[in-house]
Amino acid sequence: MTTDVAPRLLEDTPLGSKAGGFYQRQSFLTGLGFGVLLAFIGWLISHATLQGSNWGSDMVVTVTMACWVVGFNVGMGTFNAPIRWALGHDQSHEDELYAAGVGQGNKRYWKFCTDHKVVGTQYLVLVIVLFAVGGSLAMMIRTQLITPHSSFLDPNTYNAIVTIHGMCMIIATIIMVTGPFTNFIMPIMIGAKDMAFPRLNAMSFWIVVSAVPCLLATFFLGGVDAGWTTYAPLSVQAPAAMDTFALTIITFVVSVTVAGINTIVTIITMRAKGMTMGRLPIFTWGSMIGSALGLYAMPAFLLVMTMMITDRAVGTSFFVAAQGGSGWLYENIFWIMGHPEVYVILLPPVAAMLEVGSTFARKPVFGYKVVVASFVAVAALSIMVWAHHMFTTGWAPDLAGPFMLTTELISIPTGIIFLSVIGTLWKGSIWTRLPMYFVYLFLWNFIIGGVTGIYLSDVPADQFFHGDMFVTAHFHYTLLGGAMIAATAALCYWFPKVSGKMFNERIGKTAFWIIAIGIQITYVGMFWEGFQGMPRRVAYYDPIFLRSNQMATGGAYLLMIGWVVLLYAIIHSWRNGKPAPANPWHAKSLEWKVPTPVPLENFLVDPVVTSDPYTYGEQVPDGQNEPSTTPEPEPELVPAGSGEQSDTGGQV
Amino acid sequence: MSFEEQADEIEHTILDGKPFFSRPAGKIFIIWLVFTVIGLLLSFYLPHHILPTLMASTGTDVFRTVVVFSVLAAPVAAFVYAVAVYSLIAWRHKGNQDEPPEDGPPMRGNGPMTVLWLTVSSVLVVVLLVWGLAVWSSQQVSHPDTLQVNVTGQQWLWTFSYPGTGVESRTLMLPVNRPVEFNVTSVDVTHGFWPVSLGTQVDANPGEVTVIRTTPNMLGGFTVRCSQLCGLYHAFMYASGAVVTPTQFSTWLQSQGASATQASQTAQTTPTNS
Amino acid sequence: MAITTVEHDGSHDDGAGHGSQAEHAGGLHETAEQRDHKERLALWLFIGGDALFLILELFTWFYLRALNVNGLWRGTACSKANPCTDGLGNPITQAIPKANGWYSVGVAVLLIVAALLIWAAERSARNRDSRSVIGGVTGLAVVALLAAIALGFYQFQALPFTTIDGVYASTYEFFMGSTLVHAILLSFIGFGLWNRARMGRYEDGKWYRVRVIRIFAAWIAISASILALVSTFFA
Repeated sequence: MTTDVAPRLLEDTPLGSKAGGFYQRQSFLTGLGFGVLLAFIGWLISHATLQGSNWGSDMVVTVTMACWVVGFNVGMGTFNAPIRWALGHDQSHEDELYAAGVGQGNKRYWKFCTDHKVVGTQYLVLVIVLFAVGGSLAMMIRTQLITPHSSFLDPNTYNAIVTIHGMCMIIATIIMVTGPFTNFIMPIMIGAKDMAFPRLNAMSFWIVVSAVPCLLATFFLGGVDAGWTTYAPLSVQAPAAMDTFALTIITFVVSVTVAGINTIVTIITMRAKGMTMGRLPIFTWGSMIGSALGLYAMPAFLLVMTMMITDRAVGTSFFVAAQGGSGWLYENIFWIMGHPEVYVILLPPVAAMLEVGSTFARKPVFGYKVVVASFVAVAALSIMVWAHHMFTTGWAPDLAGPFMLTTELISIPTGIIFLSVIGTLWKGSIWTRLPMYFVYLFLWNFIIGGVTGIYLSDVPADQFFHGDMFVTAHFHYTLLGGAMIAATAALCYWFPKVSGKMFNERIGKTAFWIIAIGIQITYVGMFWEGFQGMPRRVAYYDPIFLRSNQMATGGAYLLMIGWVVLLYAIIHSWRNGKPAPANPWHAKSLEWKVPTPVPLENFLVDPVVTSDPYTYGEQVPDGQNEPSTTPEPEPELVPAGSGEQSDTGGQV
Repeated sequence: MSFEEQADEIEHTILDGKPFFSRPAGKIFIIWLVFTVIGLLLSFYLPHHILPTLMASTGTDVFRTVVVFSVLAAPVAAFVYAVAVYSLIAWRHKGNQDEPPEDGPPMRGNGPMTVLWLTVSSVLVVVLLVWGLAVWSSQQVSHPDTLQVNVTGQQWLWTFSYPGTGVESRTLMLPVNRPVEFNVTSVDVTHGFWPVSLGTQVDANPGEVTVIRTTPNMLGGFTVRCSQLCGLYHAFMYASGAVVTPTQFSTWLQSQGASATQASQTAQTTPTNS
Repeated sequence: MAITTVEHDGSHDDGAGHGSQAEHAGGLHETAEQRDHKERLALWLFIGGDALFLILELFTWFYLRALNVNGLWRGTACSKANPCTDGLGNPITQAIPKANGWYSVGVAVLLIVAALLIWAAERSARNRDSRSVIGGVTGLAVVALLAAIALGFYQFQALPFTTIDGVYASTYEFFMGSTLVHAILLSFIGFGLWNRARMGRYEDGKWYRVRVIRIFAAWIAISASILALVSTFFA
């Protein structure tokens, strides 16, 4: 027992004037300032010493943007803790409370803040910004494609936009659920007070923030005209923009690796008493397996982009055929990353969606153990399928059969996800609130996306469809229609806990219908384009593709309107929504047992878990299963260390 | 519930109780039937109408694969959609939306259903795989009278050359009903050699020669497009092609500079003095 | 985890204002042992990713080596009649000589020495030796690390080729760069270890704080050795 007189809540601790040290003076502004300053210094020095050499501009760009990344993070305070550790001046308890945001009000959202709830909210804003940027680029692409030979964009700009639209969306979709919700919700869900490494958590956020200007800088350095996959040797020949593109990825990989390690260690080591692995909410499993897969995939991305920079800046020949290198080396290592990566994107949102399905059908997740096994199977198989992206490259035709086998095998565990959703719906009490709408839309979209993937897994069929708009339509149906819609379900579901307000469902449902219809028109139009034989990534097309392109562009505009209405709903609800109760959905997982807004340490009393969160319809012993029709009383705030247990809070 | 009890539960759902079509299983069956019929109709109608005219053996393979896969997918998709739709008809909570409905049954899973699902999906995968492997290996067979065509991609045009004739052309002419083997390479970046209507493609890689085989089986013109983003004018990188009779092919070769003997040998026609 | 008590690490404050060794970030209350368990798990996950990076580096080496049966691996097939060119268009007319493997091996040996020294420091801490002993051993480890870095940089100059000389040269120098980057990262950690050792942070029996660094150092030594051996014996 502590002998101090503890304040009522940790976040109300008054801090001394020296608390936080350098953190007091650091924020997004100092990050920006220091980043620009160091970038300028880096540019000056590298320009002076290297510009004259043959590889000059690539080295200059690389050094400048690397200095930006380092400088921004130094200015943010990302490296304060390791430096203090090395110097032997560890952070005191007060420093760490300051770092967790105590006493700073809303300013903490602009600072290096270790509170996982703050980091989660910061990620949510970042994800929305990235989707807005990527979405705007998408609209420029579709606008160009209204007519076969539009003068809206010149081909270089068009290709550059196609590249950045892709990469921006890849970054956004990788972090769209793991950033906001694995960070904010998952620790509470497992009964922990924070993530395993709160400082690494904040670090992962600010590092990915520093990567964004590197990505957008490509537009000012000549544009990358090689698509987000940036195949060598085209990308080796690209203008200096490619160097900052590669640096974006290297930076992003560091962030994802750090975040992934944090997630896995948290789930393994910080579960509350009684929270066995078998009682983990399915969302936690999805986050953990997705993160583990990311740890596998990201080193490949790091390697291939580092080799890209050396090929460009110092003249190595990894990908240059004339000197013994091979474009196939690039493609293999890239897709060793690229295919697991789509499951890194898919698994956390799907797992979140299963939570939503369970809550709004008032039934347990159907086949919980089988679903977990299928997540593991999908992850394991995804490591063995990469060359299905290379069926038409001419590389190793003898391996076409084995890769066709592994790719088609993945459809078996993926199919289990459908079984689980419809099994959860079976004879449930379907409560059609807004989050559930998106679950149904996921079902519709992901069937189409998944089935069309099977066409592509067949080598002879792929020899027609590869590199045409059919592929684009397939992955948009799965990534946007599937993963992103599942992420939207997660957003609507956890919105009351994260923002403290209820989501305006009238506006939300309007957005839903516009988005749902927009998706079908846009991507069915794209399938039509693909069947007709239109290549992807083209700024101009044969007039025979006119009708299908008009359909896709019309649908895209409708879809854009839908997303804008949804964004309006988010902002409007956050500012003016009804205050949310602690458990508006009467759900059973731990995050709904804590008050809204969530206290700094999440739990004022360490919870002891006695069952999984899927006890719908069951009679749990000790009468702990509250009747679902009785509104749940607000959990009382009980001071830490007082020896009391609150009646309703903390026990499941 | 034990495995047997769960199996009995499924059996009961399908077989016992009220008349079949007034129970959930029956109603779902009807919805499933409707969706499956729609799916099958689309499977037979759409590919024919939205695919381009396919003019080669590999094209026929594509067409058949698309139809077969669609036909197999239709009932699976229909089942998921049918349950989803029925759940909104029959199990939707209609009362006060601000309060959650009563809990549903504590059904954590169903062993027999899961086994059935896994079995059906595994069987489907095996069928698809066998189909795909059969088609793929039929495409690898070498024929003795194969015509060799060398394809060279560069930024941003295609060049086709016919070994043994000295002919180099920007147009791809092929004789009908004769197996052809394309040897494809690039002189700069990676391109994608895609004669769309022939239903096959392969990348053109610098420093490598990649090979695809097909047999054109319909006369007519076609377009060769580039399917791998290759820089600024990737969208403009296309070439015309045509499948012609052997005689026309021989004539064309001579018009491109081949001697009469070379032309007739390559086109496998009897030499004429044209 | 107890329901009502909040555990604090025994050595909360050593009275000199140096703060606690227990992690309090964001309100986490945990023992040093719990923290060490988490850190080791995190480290093994990181090593897993780094191991994958290493495997892919080796894949690159062997793939490019197997691909270039025509002699472009070290340029032996190039001649006046059939010149290979470097990246600037200048013809390379002779085979690229093999690098002197002793440098890579030397760097790896120095990293092994550093890892062994850190392991010795860990044992010292376990035996509760004084700060001057642990500080001395870790100081030697830092010296070994700095020597490895110096040798690594010198190695670049001593190479009989540069990065523009084809795929063997490219991959060889990539391996060197990879080892160097890992060594630089480790030397920052090693500096911190030495600094904290001489300040007496490991005197109180928290030997496992050194163990986690030893594991990392051992991994770096192993990966440097693998890269050195492959690049020397499969040239």
